[in-house]
Amino acid sequence: MAANRLFVRRRDGRIEVRLNDAGREVAREAFGRVIAAERDPQHEWRDTLNPPIDPSIDADDPFSTLNRQNEISTNAELAYMTLGEQFLNEGEAWAWLSTLQIALRSTAISHGLLSEQKLSACEPPLLDFIRTLQQFLFSLAECI
Amino acid sequence: MSNLLRSVLSSTETRQDTTSVVKTERPWNVVVWDDPVTPMSVVVVIFRRIFGYSNNKCTQLMLQVHHEGRAIVWSGANDRATSYCVKLQVAGLQATIEKDE
Repeated sequence: MAANRLFVRRRDGRIEVRLNDAGREVAREAFGRVIAAERDPQHEWRDTLNPPIDPSIDADDPFSTLNRQNEISTNAELAYMTLGEQFLNEGEAWAWLSTLQIALRSTAISHGLLSEQKLSACEPPLLDFIRTLQQFLFSLAECI
Repeated sequence: MSNLLRSVLSSTETRQDTTSVVKTERPWNVVVWDDPVTPMSVVVVIFRRIFGYSNNKCTQLMLQVHHEGRAIVWSGANDRATSYCVKLQVAGLQATIEKDE
């Protein structure tokens, strides 16, 4: 099974990225969308990236929301910059995991896929994209 | 007694007085919500990384989110709850804060 793992923790602590070109293209698309969503106020993922912190009040503390925006952007940009790397360090791997997870949830929410039934019934290319991101995350989580 | 020493001693006395006041406030809870797409192992990794909990505790919390739809993952002061909530959101989980009832 080890041969099928997409990410592998090496003895020196680095995480080896075993994605082929097609896999890296999917990651590029996911990271690129998160970066675009953070820069474009009209992006369809914008609401997903700006959820309420305390739903009982009208507006959250601007410092906290700005901090969140900065951290999401920083992670996404670091992930994007390391797309071609064969090995990731701990911080880069965390940036990949966070950004892939944000892309996964944003894709599902923006298409209204909020239940397992709706997820199973969605169009094949979309389901394929979601399942691929899940597989990346599953493999990456195993070695973080 | 010098003025400086008098002033230091007087501020110390004030401090002793104020520490006797017990302030009780309801804690704030950090709540993580279930969603159908996030892999379970990812939730465990995020809890471990952000809170430093043991694998067992992270797994228990993840299963609570999965089965009950939500779980309180941390309780305490408002500013720390907000900070943890933001960290969970940055990691891609659906999280909010609420005052403990």
